[in-house]
Amino acid sequence: MHYSPTLVASFRKCCVVLAFSASFLISSPVAISQVQSPSSLEEPPGPHAEQQKFFETKILTVLRNHCYECHSKTAANVEGGLWLDSRVSMRDGGDTGPAIVPGKPADSLLFQALCSQENQMPPDGALPPEVIADFELWILDGAFDSREDDSEARELDYSGAREFWAFQAPELPVLPQVSDVSWPRSSLDVFVLEKLEEHGLTPATPADPATLIRRLYFDLIGLPPAPEDLRAYVDSPSEEAYQAIVERLLASPLFGERQSQHWLDVVRYAETEGFEYDRHLPEMWRYRDYVVQSFAEDKPYDRFITEQLAGDELDPENVEYRIAAGFHRLGAVRRNAGNQQVASSRNEVLTERTDIVGSAMLGLTIGCCRCHDHKFDPISQVDYYRLQAYFAATQEDNVSLLSDADSQALAAKTKEIEQEIQKLKDSITGLNEADISATRSRISELEKSLPPAGPTACSIRNDFTNFDPIRVLKRGDPDKPGAIVGLRELGILVDDSLPELDPNTAHPRTRLAASLTLPNHPLTARVIVNRIWQSHFGRGIVSTTNDFGRNGSAPSHPELLDYLAQELVRSDWSTKELHRQIVLSNTYRQASEATEPTLAARLDADNVWLSHMSRRRLSAEEIRDAMLFTAGRLNVTVGGESIMVPVEQELIDQLYKPSQWDVAKDETQHYRRSIYLIAKRNLRLPFMEVFDQPAAQTSCAERPQSTHARQALEMLNGPLANELAGALVQRLHREVGPESSAMVERAFWLVAGRPPTQLEDQLSEDFLEQGSQREFCLAMFSLNAFLYVN
Amino acid sequence: MWTHRLARRNFLKNACCGMGTLALTAMLQQEQAVGSAHGKSAFKGPAKNVIFLFMAGGPSHIETFDPKPLLNKLHGQKRPVEFGEAKYQFVAADAKLLGSHVTYQPYGNSGIEVSSLFPETAKCADDLAVIRSCYGDVVVHSAAQYELFSGRIVPGFPSMGSWVLYGLGSESDSLPGYVVMPDPDGALEAGQPMYMNGFLPAAHQPTMLRAAGKPILNLELPSQISTRERRKTIELIERLNEAARAEEDNELEARIDSYELAFNMQQEAPGVFDLSQETQETLDLYGVGREPTHDYGRRCLLARRMIERGVRFAVVVSGGGPGNKQWDAHSDIVENHDRMAAETDRPVAGLLQDLKRRGMLDSTLVLWGGEFGRSPEAQSSKGRDHHNLGFTMWMAGGGIRGGTIVGATDEIGLRAIEQPYHFRDIHTTILHQLGIGQDELTYPHLGREERLTQIHGKVIKEIV
Repeated sequence: MHYSPTLVASFRKCCVVLAFSASFLISSPVAISQVQSPSSLEEPPGPHAEQQKFFETKILTVLRNHCYECHSKTAANVEGGLWLDSRVSMRDGGDTGPAIVPGKPADSLLFQALCSQENQMPPDGALPPEVIADFELWILDGAFDSREDDSEARELDYSGAREFWAFQAPELPVLPQVSDVSWPRSSLDVFVLEKLEEHGLTPATPADPATLIRRLYFDLIGLPPAPEDLRAYVDSPSEEAYQAIVERLLASPLFGERQSQHWLDVVRYAETEGFEYDRHLPEMWRYRDYVVQSFAEDKPYDRFITEQLAGDELDPENVEYRIAAGFHRLGAVRRNAGNQQVASSRNEVLTERTDIVGSAMLGLTIGCCRCHDHKFDPISQVDYYRLQAYFAATQEDNVSLLSDADSQALAAKTKEIEQEIQKLKDSITGLNEADISATRSRISELEKSLPPAGPTACSIRNDFTNFDPIRVLKRGDPDKPGAIVGLRELGILVDDSLPELDPNTAHPRTRLAASLTLPNHPLTARVIVNRIWQSHFGRGIVSTTNDFGRNGSAPSHPELLDYLAQELVRSDWSTKELHRQIVLSNTYRQASEATEPTLAARLDADNVWLSHMSRRRLSAEEIRDAMLFTAGRLNVTVGGESIMVPVEQELIDQLYKPSQWDVAKDETQHYRRSIYLIAKRNLRLPFMEVFDQPAAQTSCAERPQSTHARQALEMLNGPLANELAGALVQRLHREVGPESSAMVERAFWLVAGRPPTQLEDQLSEDFLEQGSQREFCLAMFSLNAFLYVN
Repeated sequence: MWTHRLARRNFLKNACCGMGTLALTAMLQQEQAVGSAHGKSAFKGPAKNVIFLFMAGGPSHIETFDPKPLLNKLHGQKRPVEFGEAKYQFVAADAKLLGSHVTYQPYGNSGIEVSSLFPETAKCADDLAVIRSCYGDVVVHSAAQYELFSGRIVPGFPSMGSWVLYGLGSESDSLPGYVVMPDPDGALEAGQPMYMNGFLPAAHQPTMLRAAGKPILNLELPSQISTRERRKTIELIERLNEAARAEEDNELEARIDSYELAFNMQQEAPGVFDLSQETQETLDLYGVGREPTHDYGRRCLLARRMIERGVRFAVVVSGGGPGNKQWDAHSDIVENHDRMAAETDRPVAGLLQDLKRRGMLDSTLVLWGGEFGRSPEAQSSKGRDHHNLGFTMWMAGGGIRGGTIVGATDEIGLRAIEQPYHFRDIHTTILHQLGIGQDELTYPHLGREERLTQIHGKVIKEIV
């Protein structure tokens, strides 16, 4: 693009001179035509001896010395998706096109880059003109390349790569020796203490009972404890009482609601398709209910992901399974008017369906391999498309949820009307104009009387009659299809001898699920265990929860991770058991202040070694839910259709179809938990957005916790905060009367889960002498003691 | 004062205290070097702020800045095969080329040709760097709008405004750092996700300015609350939070500060919307107070007033609602573009002139353009379809070399053939003018260090 014609012309001159001196251009003109034909690649090197020598001395050394650092398999950070360390990848090129087009230096991006002034390569200084001339000559002569190379479908060398911890099955670790044998309550604690001792740190004292219980409530059910429940425990904080609370919370339907949010973040759950139409999938909420229900009833995790991956294959008649398979409908879908680019649209859908399995279940960033072999992990482009092959036959399918009888009745009624319509239509020819008009209006009446289709589940099914097998796409481009591939799990995770399955293999996703849920699968259990750990400690044992690959972070406590993963499998994949194990540990019950704060801050500022509990800001949903709860307005109805609450008209007007925002008429519905508010891609509630609710476009592995003025504006001037401040005043009046000191005491118990300190009490009562009670309650929602969990 | 740099960095990354990541990095490096807690901004480019005049729907390059005399000669004929193929959203293979109704003439010392649609903007020709060879990857609105703003054809990635705010922070204590002023006529195809912060922390969100009554959400006090009363509430919040705060707690300290900032915003931001502070001459310059320029003129003037007060990135959208209310001239290029140009020409020129006379143009980069251009072929006889293979955008100010023309499309405006520049090159150039290298500004997301440019872009050397 940016090579200068004059520059090349001058190189051409230079070339001619060099050609004479190198003399092979003249002496072996036949070789030029030979190397340009692909078949010549397999020929013995004999006739190419001179070219080989030229390549090895003039070209390869330059590539090695100046290019490999950023453009080879061994590069730490491959630039532009371009590998120059193999013949094939050089000709395939990187993100912007082929690096080498034999015979055509002007079309070869590598050559352009060498000549370019603006985007000169190597970046640290242009190569000498004579070297650039060598390259031109070499390309003109067909770019002979003697490097041993593999075909397009080359396999990576997995043997060494399998040594990496994340690709090895978890092993049951030996319990380490620790000095302080009195502190650990469980094996979990022993693993944590070992690291603390190793780093010269000590565990914190236990959190005070009120702090602990508030933490436990938010972590398990996403809501604060009622003051009465809190006080009951604070008054007699026995071990039995703590365990009883743990059991009660684990058994609560609120537990399912809270835990499902984490999963819905990861699978980028939304009920609309995004892009311009942002079409609503009016029954998608059934998937959300399925997730809530699954966590509430402690569905074994292997079962949970199997149903999502392959519910439609397991039993097409099972409604719950079909809803679970709605998992494959969660990606954004671009639907456009006009000329449909069928191949690329289909490819976008399949990409969504494939990549999310990588992020959510495998904890691997496989998306990169759509265009090229993975830059960091041993995953090839072929691996990627073999994984995509499991989804090749998937098609959208909305399943009727009517009973057989209702369904038949509906069909009969529909058929009856349709027949009558047809009869009328047939009768039209030969009628006079008045009769035609009458008949037409009768037809239109009948069409309107067609019964609405009953409720459906957004799901998928396999359609093998009408499917295109997956092909490796050159640079991910659907217009450049390569060889057909069959089904196979990522090469790094299976034995090299395992064959690829036929593209038409029946029940493909059931097979995928079966291999993902093998008890010794190196990733599946570790990934979910790590997510749950993160939900309690704010940081995963692997802090990059969606990336267990080489570019992700190494586990801080590898033995602990393996121990918990094995425990999970041993407990029949019970996630509830894992939560129990965590919240009963002494690690979890620590105070949020280290025993030696300065030391801890110096040695471990990010609290990787857990010398205390990390404080966390409540999530957007927790803040809203807790405000509703505190103000006595929370509607705890479980499940059902998603709710649209009132928002500013101006926001609605920014929708392509403003009529999509249909506010729930029953106002009590506006006070439902946040998990039941509609997840619409193109309209997020401002309140949720400012507190870092994810956009639901890509998988969200961890929520940022930002701090900025618009949060303050939302809490001060926003309609929700002001309405609920009023409601809180009413509640306080109702419960303790209008007297200031009682109100302040009660308000602190409600929002902070503790009584006010003397200073807080003084400040509050002083304010209430003149200030309004409503403003006082508004201030309560802005307390750090409310917005954070210690 | 600070306990640990890393904790501080992690925290500051998530907080919006007027300091961006790059300034922060520089500061931390400086601290490391001299052990001081004082740092200077990492700021090193000629531009400090950006105004994007977003012509939504895709203005035709052929009718604006890229004269194509051959197209008029070939009017009514099929595209000669030598120009190659193109995929359109609607136009079919048998479509006929459509000549243009506009005339061109050279302006200024530079002699840049500007069409008869923009007589006012034409007077600023010597300030413009016209890039006639822009191209993008997709030919439908939503995906192209995502690419224009975020470099990706799918939603969910941060827009350039969010990236810039993340990198440089805001210079204003009372206004949001990144604002979008949508067209009151309605929404665009890509919707709000196009302007959003994607996976960047919410501190780097855009603030959408509403056309009517309350320009910034939640800026107004609830009825029956006086400013005095609210001041006391904020003091109560601050005191209670101070009372419960341990020493040296950056995060909680920042949260306390955020209430002070919110209060300032509440006090001072409304002033920015008070155009009565402007002279009649200035209002006239932007075409405020008369049709058809009032609305866009008002928003351009607001953009200047915000930039003046330290807003980092402002987007002023022309076009919204149904296609014909955008630059999306499918059915009648003459009617649509005459109308859209008449609404925006005076305001755009007014903005450039006003920035210049106030000495602000040198530090304010102005970008003009849409998500694509329009087809040389006719759609339904009088309209033009979407077209992404070659179209025009221009830049002015912010250290951009005015009076330049870069690149060219072929003789019928089908394809960028000389020095083609992709959206990523536009992005790279904007960052470059702001003193940011594209690799300096990254954020970890799903196992990648993401940046604004998915593939490395080029700085458009001809104009910087």
